[in-house]
Amino acid sequence: MVAWAKQGHEAAFRELVRRYERPVFSLLYRMVRDRALAEDLAQETFIKVLNGIKSYKPEFKFSSWIFKIANNAAIDHIRRRSIDTLSLDGAPDAQTPEAMKATAIQLDAKGETPLQEVENRELGSAIERAIGRLRPEYRACILLRHVEGYSYEEIAATLDLPLGTVKTYIHRARNELRGYLEDRRAETRGRDGP
Amino acid sequence: MHLTPDEIELWAEGLLGAARTMHLTECSLCLAEAEQERKVLLELVALPRFAPSARFADHVMAQVKIRAPSGEF
Ligand SMILES: [Zn+2]
Repeated sequence: MVAWAKQGHEAAFRELVRRYERPVFSLLYRMVRDRALAEDLAQETFIKVLNGIKSYKPEFKFSSWIFKIANNAAIDHIRRRSIDTLSLDGAPDAQTPEAMKATAIQLDAKGETPLQEVENRELGSAIERAIGRLRPEYRACILLRHVEGYSYEEIAATLDLPLGTVKTYIHRARNELRGYLEDRRAETRGRDGP
Repeated sequence: MHLTPDEIELWAEGLLGAARTMHLTECSLCLAEAEQERKVLLELVALPRFAPSARFADHVMAQVKIRAPSGEF
């Protein structure tokens, strides 16, 4: 399929898009937590991949190559914005409680559009919200590991990170997730309690 | 000796050897942590994949260089 696509055949390109659009879009959507933006970044990713397919090296897993480009697009975007609009507690660089409140309120103040309703439905569960609170680097690792079923070695190759770093990120990420989910259970218990 | 994070992950995935698994019968600390870990793992592996909009492929294809029937781009 990839060899065929390398010759520039439209049907092969379409098949590659069909095969990878969901995994790539899902990763980006969970990275930026904005459907329209994730779709733009996914488009950008596929255009880069397909127009640059001649530079693809077959010793690298094809899906890894796409995820690498997608992840770079997401991280670039998040850095360009410099604030992580995804953090439910406000921007991560907000150091003081006041600054956190200010950025968080900004997010709340936006009226809810139909698209935002979809986003709330899709990313509103406790686990999705907890993932949204992770640092982007942790988020990418955890999504590749558990949604895509990548091994630590594959994640390291995809994200250009040392193997030890990937392990550390994933362990820390899962500790944080456990903490967030425990907090939520405690809150729920507190609310429903006697 | 308490389980390491790697061992807890292995246990949560059902891959930890019997000798180390025994530790969980005598250490409530490790057992609690391992059970929480398994809960998180189960939630993570159940995450769905999302689909982009229906015209996604068309939008991509409109901006990709396609080989013409003559063999030229
Ligand atoms: Zn122990």
